[in-house]
Formats: sequence, C-alpha cells, structure tokens
Amino acid sequence: MTNNVTRRDFLINQRKKADSLKNVKSDWPTKRVAKLYRQFLEDKPAPYYTPLKEYTPVPITPSKRHMTVDWHEDAAAHLLRRTLFAPTFSEITSTGVDTMENTVSTLLATQNQPDPPGDWVTEPPPQFDTLTEEEIMELIETYYYRHFQLIGWWMKRMATQPMSIVENLSLFWHDHFATSFDGVFFPQAMYQQNSVFREHCLGNFRELLRRISFGPAMMIWLNTNSNRVNHPNENFSRELLELFTIGVDNYTQTDVEEAARSFTGYVTNGVNTNYNYNQATGYGSYWQQRHDFAQKTFLGQTGNFDGDDIIDIILQQDQTALFICEKIYKWFVYEVPDETFVNEMATIFRNSNYEILPVMEYMLSSDHFYNENYRGCMIRNPLTVTQGIFRQFDIADENMPLRYLIDLQYFMGMIPNMPPDVNGWIGYRSWLNSITLPMRKLFASSMTEGSNLFGGNFDFQPDVIAFAQTLSNPNDAEAIVRDFAKLFFPLPISEALETQLLDALLDGAAVYDWDISNAGAAHRLRNLIKYMIRKPEFQLI
Amino acid sequence: MKRRDFIKASMVMSILGAKLPLMALGKSHQNIRRKTGTWESDRILVLIKMNGGNDGLNSVIPVFDSLYHQARPTLAFNENQALMVTEDSGFHPQMASLFPIFQNGEMGIIHGVGYPQSNLSHFRSSDIWVTGSPSNEIWTSGWLGRLFQNEYPNFPDGAPNHPVAIQFGSANLLEFQSTQTNFATMLFDPEVMYAIINENYVPGSNDPPPATYGGDELNFVRELDLTTLEYSEEIYAAGQDGNLTVEYPNNNLGEQLAVTAKLISGGLMTPIYRLHIGGFDTHAGQSNDHSQRLNQTSNAISAFLQDLKNQGLNDRVMVMTTSEFGRRVGENGSNGTDHGTSGPIFTFGTTTIGDVYGSQPSLSNLDNNNNLLVEHDFRQVYSTLIEDWFGMDSSISQSVFQDTFDPIPFVANPLSVNGSPTVPDSFTLFPAFPNPFNPATNIRFELPSEARATIRVFDLKGREVQTHNLGKLNSGQHDFRLDCRDLSSGVYHIQVEAAGSVQSQRVTLAK
Repeated sequence: MTNNVTRRDFLINQRKKADSLKNVKSDWPTKRVAKLYRQFLEDKPAPYYTPLKEYTPVPITPSKRHMTVDWHEDAAAHLLRRTLFAPTFSEITSTGVDTMENTVSTLLATQNQPDPPGDWVTEPPPQFDTLTEEEIMELIETYYYRHFQLIGWWMKRMATQPMSIVENLSLFWHDHFATSFDGVFFPQAMYQQNSVFREHCLGNFRELLRRISFGPAMMIWLNTNSNRVNHPNENFSRELLELFTIGVDNYTQTDVEEAARSFTGYVTNGVNTNYNYNQATGYGSYWQQRHDFAQKTFLGQTGNFDGDDIIDIILQQDQTALFICEKIYKWFVYEVPDETFVNEMATIFRNSNYEILPVMEYMLSSDHFYNENYRGCMIRNPLTVTQGIFRQFDIADENMPLRYLIDLQYFMGMIPNMPPDVNGWIGYRSWLNSITLPMRKLFASSMTEGSNLFGGNFDFQPDVIAFAQTLSNPNDAEAIVRDFAKLFFPLPISEALETQLLDALLDGAAVYDWDISNAGAAHRLRNLIKYMIRKPEFQLI
Repeated sequence: MKRRDFIKASMVMSILGAKLPLMALGKSHQNIRRKTGTWESDRILVLIKMNGGNDGLNSVIPVFDSLYHQARPTLAFNENQALMVTEDSGFHPQMASLFPIFQNGEMGIIHGVGYPQSNLSHFRSSDIWVTGSPSNEIWTSGWLGRLFQNEYPNFPDGAPNHPVAIQFGSANLLEFQSTQTNFATMLFDPEVMYAIINENYVPGSNDPPPATYGGDELNFVRELDLTTLEYSEEIYAAGQDGNLTVEYPNNNLGEQLAVTAKLISGGLMTPIYRLHIGGFDTHAGQSNDHSQRLNQTSNAISAFLQDLKNQGLNDRVMVMTTSEFGRRVGENGSNGTDHGTSGPIFTFGTTTIGDVYGSQPSLSNLDNNNNLLVEHDFRQVYSTLIEDWFGMDSSISQSVFQDTFDPIPFVANPLSVNGSPTVPDSFTLFPAFPNPFNPATNIRFELPSEARATIRVFDLKGREVQTHNLGKLNSGQHDFRLDCRDLSSGVYHIQVEAAGSVQSQRVTLAK
C-alpha cells in the first residue's frame, strides 16, 4: 500500500512493459545481449501510443493556382506555423513586411550540420563475446541513455532552430521512414539516420532513399541484416513498397518476394555496413555468401537485381512521385490531398529527377497553400505543442527540462525516434482524444506557471513580462490580446472572443487601467495565456 | 507497487490537493439533449485485439499433424507439451489458465477466421477488420461506427449520457469512426482522467467556426472537448461505485480488464469495450515472445471472467479476441513466422456456447501463397454479435457490411427474432436502370404503406456523396431520378431507407 503515489508514477506505470519490448529482436546484436536488453527494458517505462487515425473527408473545391499570392502578415504567419515549431512574434511581423520569395528561400536554405549530441556517435561496436554480463548490462544502460540523449538533443533543436524548415522536414522524413530506437539497439545507427534526414531532407529523394535503406538503422529495424539467400525476409521489401515509395495495391506479393531476394546479403554491425555507396553494391564475404545472385523479376522487369536496381525500378514508376508528394502535402497543407495540386507537385518531382527542394518551393509559394480554406485546418502535433511553446516563449536554454518533455510525449504520443510502428504516426485527428487533449491543456497551463505537471516546479518560470515586451505594444491591453491571438490561434477571432480574452486579461479592470509595469501584470498575463492555450482554437495550426 | 493499491477514492485528492474541481461544468453544453440509449439490452461486448497477428497454429495446435512438425522444426509443440482440448489438437502450454474455462464449456473456438483475398500488410489487414470492407475496397468508416450511426444519427445529440464505446490504448480508432464522428472514448484511469479533464475545461461562449476546413477542425476539437468532459463524469461515477473481487495480473491487458470490470460493476451502461495487447508480430525468435503474450492474455482473461462471476455480472458480458491475421504455416529463417491469413477467434463467458466451430485448418490444402485457407469470414462473427448478442435486426448488420453473412451459433442466449420489432412488409427496391449510367439513373421502389423515404449515395470509400430526403410518400411504386453529373466515374452504393428498413444496391457511373 502506498499513499504517496505521484501522478507521474501513476501515469508512467500505466504505460509500462509490453509495448517497449515488441521491437526488440531476439538475436540482435547477439542472443545473449538481446536477452539482457529485454530484461533491462522490462523495468523501463514505455511510450504511450495514440490510436490510429480516422477522419471525415470533406469535398475539395479547386482553388486558384499559379496566381500571385496575396502576401501579408496572416499569410506569413500561416507559412511559419506550418514550417516551424511555432513562430515567434517578431518572426511573424518581420516576414509579414518582407516578401514571400525571401521568406520561402530563408526557410528552405541549406543549414550546417549541428554538433552531434556526443563523441559516441562514431564509436565502433564492442566485441560482445568478450564482455561479462555486468559489462553488457552497463553498455545497455549507456546505450539507452544515449538514445534519450539523442532524442532530447533533437527536441531541443526543434525549439531553438533558426527560421528554417530543416527540423520539421527531417521530422517528416523520420515519420515517413519510421524507425524506432528500441529495435535498433545502437544509438550510433539512430544518429546516422537522423543526420541523413537533416542532410538530405531538401536534397534528392533517390539519394535519401539509398542512405536510409542501406543505413545500419533501417537494416536492423526491418531485418535486411538477416535477409539472406534461400532464407529471404520480406519485412523491408514489403515496407519499402507499401510505405516508403509506391503505396499499397500497386504491386504484387511476388514483387515483394523478388525485392526481398534482391535485398539479400547486406549486413551491418550496428555502425558500419557492407554496402558501398559509391559503387552501389555490397562487398566482402558476407555479400558473397548471403546475396541471392540468381535472376529476379520485379515490377515486370527481369535481371540479376540487387537493392539499388530495385530502388531504380521503383523510381521509374510515376506512382512513387505521386505517393511521396501526397504525403508531403498531408504533412504541410491538409489531410485530404487536392488531387490536381498533388499531381502538379508530382510532375515537378518526377521532372526534376526526384529533387525535393523544387517541390517544396512550389508548394510553399502557391496560391493554393495560402487559400483561406487551409488556415487552421491542421491539428498541432504533440512536438509542436511542447517544443512550440518553448520556442515561442524563447525559454529553450540549458534549463530546458528535456527528460520531462520526453515523458510528456509518452502521453501525447510523439517521441521522436520512437514511432508507434513502421507506419509512422497517423497524425491529424488521431492526435486528439479524451486522454491527449486534456493532457495538452494541462501541460500548457502548468508550463506558464513554471510547474511540472507531475508535481513540483522547474528552476525557471517563463518571464511573461519579457515575453509581452516583444509584442507590438505591451502597454495596450487590446494590442496584447490581438498579438497573442496571432501567436496562439490560427483562425481570425471575432469581436466577441476578443472581448472575452480582454476580460481574461483585465479581470474586471478597464482597458485604460492596463499597465505592464503594474505589480499584478505578470499574473494577469499568465491568466490570459492559460485561458487561450486551453481553448480548442489553440489545438489548430 | 500494484495498481489496485492506488485506485482509491482519496487518490484524486492527494494529486490535486483539497480543491477537487467539482466546479460548475460549464453552461454551454446544457443545451445538448440526451436520451437513454435504445440498445434494447444491457449486454456488453468486450473485444480484445491481439496486435500484430496471433499465430493460430501455435495457439490451437494440430499436434499429430506431421506437416505441422515439418513446417516448424524449432517452433512445434507435441502432444505432451500441448494441453489437449480435442482428440487431435491442444492449447499452447501458456494458455493453461484458459484450459479449465474451455472444459467448463465457457470458451468457443472459431477456426479459420479471415476474409477472402487476404492482404498480408498489417495496416491494410487491420483496416479491413475494423472497417468490415471487402479486401479490394477501401472504406473509411468502421463497422462499429456504422452500427452506432444507425442508432445515433445525430451523435452526440440523442446519445445516452454514458460513452457508447470505450477504448483503451492503441487499438485502431477507425473501428468506431462513422462518416460523421467517432463514437469511442479513450480511457485510462477513471479518477485521474476526471480530475485532469475538469481542471482544464474552459467554459465560455464560442466564435462561430468559419465555413472553411479550418472551421471543420475547430468543430471537431470543440465537440471532443465537450463530450470528453461529460463522459469523464459518468466514468468517474461508475469507477467510484465499482468493485474488483480478484487480483488481476500486473500487465497491460490485466490493467485494462480491471478497469473494465470496475466500470461494469459500477453500473456504466457502455455496451462496447475495445482492449488490446501488443507483441504478436513474431517475425523472429517467436517461442519466447509468443509464450509470454499468450500467458499474459490467458491469465488476464481468466481473472476477468472470474471477477464477473463473483459479482454476478457474467450473463451480461461476452468476451472475444480478434487479430488482424494469422501467421505463415512454415517458420522463417529467424525462428519466427511471417504474416499469414486466417486464425482462430476465441469467445469467452457463460454467454457463449463452449464449442469448436469449424475444423482445424488443413495444412495440405493451402492457398497459392502457401497460406491457410479461410473457413469463416470475420464478418460472419461480427454479424452474429450484432444480431444474436445485441439482438438487432439482420437488416442492420446488412447495412453495416453491405452484404449478408451467415451467423455462427456461438451466442448462448440469442436475443434476435423475439427481441427485435418486426418490420411490417418491407418495401421492395428494384434494380436501377439504366445501369451503368451517365449522368442519371432511375431508382424505383415500392412501398407497402405510407412511409418516409430517404435515398443516400455512398462512394466506395464509404463517403456519403448525395442525400435525398423524399419526405412522406404514399404506398405504391415510386421512381426517383438520381442525377450524378457532379460525381466522377465509378461504383457507388445506393441506399434506400424506408418503412424501417434499409436496402441497397451497387450502380456504376460511366462518364
């Protein structure tokens, strides 16, 4: 019997066990290590997975395209909400008076690779058979810690990134190639994959696909590593076709099997692989022993194919460009793709030999994207909720409670590097249900108080006065309300709602009584923020 | 720390301090009218999804079949290991706690459940099971969603005060999705849930949502916000009144079943619960994983059944397991099994007729991909639940699945026939002509007596694309010209609703 159960213990306990084990392979990296790893995970909390989505499709009215975009602050805010993890007030106002072309090219500009989360990212794997059980357990503990270090490192980047699409687009590709660390074991492999997203997210899709397919993380995650001649494992080839490129129903079971045979012989030790990017082939004795060198027939073509040949044939299919563009559209524009517009994107994608940048540029510069219909028609994803608040309040410093934020994502359902399965996150309306919606509100309001919703306080409290000082006129209550609405609500607000918000801020005082230097100003600002972020409008972007 | 130790009334108080927010629950939602549900019975269905595709051949094991042993050199069980339930088949050893339940006649085994033209993708196959679609069609509403929509067309208006369906964890919400709404409420601990929801509900008047996609989403969030608040009160109250009489295993499914038992015991009238247990996708190193999962599943279910019996609730509850597919006959190179086709469904309780339905799947007669053949369509099982367990008219299950499926007699006390109101002379729907058509076709039907009639057109994704309310019509023959010039070419379902029943047919628009 215990009387001092905290909400945190309680909630964590709810999510424990089975789910965290389902991705663990029984023989990776060795059977002995896998068994110990499983024991280790038995005692660790697991993420909370949200349900699969469903939505009510709405008929699409074709919009005007290729017209000059009517660029103003609202359009700028829309673009920034969809590409960043929540824009700051100064970003909205400064891009509003700049041009769309400048803003889009800033967002799509190349970024330098950030410093890695630790020196360990290139550390070679140990000789497991030389280690004692204690040493293995210690290593598992270290690796586990590094996985979370990497997740926290990425989440921090989301909240501190400059005005760039790179983190959001990397998250999109991560969702697309959904790989979970618990099945991969090696944090080095997860870091490698993450770097590939960041480096190639705006590059060429063929190159991205190769780097992911032949990277150690994917080779472990979907069993390419154990796919060998006469013992094919279909896991990777099925998902390659179904989820990564062509989409279901555009290939046969035989195509899956033939692709699996072509992808035999690639192996990894968790950090390096026997694949040579420059020569596009496997090498070494494993390759000779394990690759199926016989003839295969895939999507109507016959030859002595290897993995690269399969990728080439897949990219010859127009359907691949369409499938990828539809996913991009759904991530950045709306859940129900506009067929005509997606076709235009796919044509650009195909004609540029799968360059990603021109597609993004076209989409983000189109009249279609800025159509009023699409304002606020997306549900914030959980990372946009937590990291967006840190970014907007500009409080993502060394005090950022990363471990706490990862814990929260357990309940909201979006821990990076821990997707629910290879299908990635379902997104859209599935983000919200009778658990996650109250949880988001609870998080957001406790955050403005600087309190940990599992109990206790952080070392810091968001400085709401400083925050208000960044707005257009901190001494004008009505201006504060309008500016907050630009930050928190994507849809235009009515006079009635504006009055309601003013009441929440002024708490009975008159508009002209408002003075930011008054003693109670911080308290009142907090009340307004808490009020707004618990309204349904806040859940939209 | 065991879960039952801290499900205590005082818990919420300790979390939130003294000010438990029994505050005004907002006035804006007072205007939503509710009525008592018209589901005729107080029967409850508890569905448990074994996520990942349970290996049926290693659950109910053909221990004497030499083909089985050949196909599974490292994974097979023999007759000494298995718990023999029939002359030639036995349970997996880790299903020991279910063995006495089967012997007591309180467990049904429905063999070979799947659907024609099996799809080996998790996601597609899961979707097929939850939507109830044919395997070559993509439907975007769930079978339970359509069932509830039939009962509560204006949900949440007209719906009861309790959730109509409760769902734990990560099961597929698509199952409860209709063309209009989602009927399921996600649940974790009732007390904590109630406290958090109430604490964070912001009452107040709302802006009218704009007539844009953004406005649609705002409506969605608002509706969820409100129903979540209302349902949490009902769930909380039931959780306070409910009891547990057994110790549940300390695993995820055990916890879900404990909460379910508590709510049923506390009088919550929610008719459907969907639970889940993960980890059945045993591609590699199956023997450990599968044993562990079967053990957890079996122990949790047997505890639940005992609890229901202790509390005299057993005659109201049907328990059933489902899984998106079975697994391949032969083991793969990684001591696991790959995605297959059919597998057994288990039914539990004094409410089921303990028996084996169908036969152990043949290992010599396989499909083209060397997979097990399907003996029962899962929609037969679901239709039986709708008709025999919940006592609804067969026209309802027909409209849910757009097809008729033969029932399987596993329900001990079927409610159908005597429970449902008889429909006087159902109306007649004639084949549309012309068909295929462009751009219009004629829908002819004959009413036995004066009745209201509605014609709805659905596309293959289950979206309602046209609705024609024809109002009250006289008895006799009626023609309606259905104009589809706004629709694109393809197959559509025409549904005519009149005189208390629904009839439908497929038409093809060829532009």
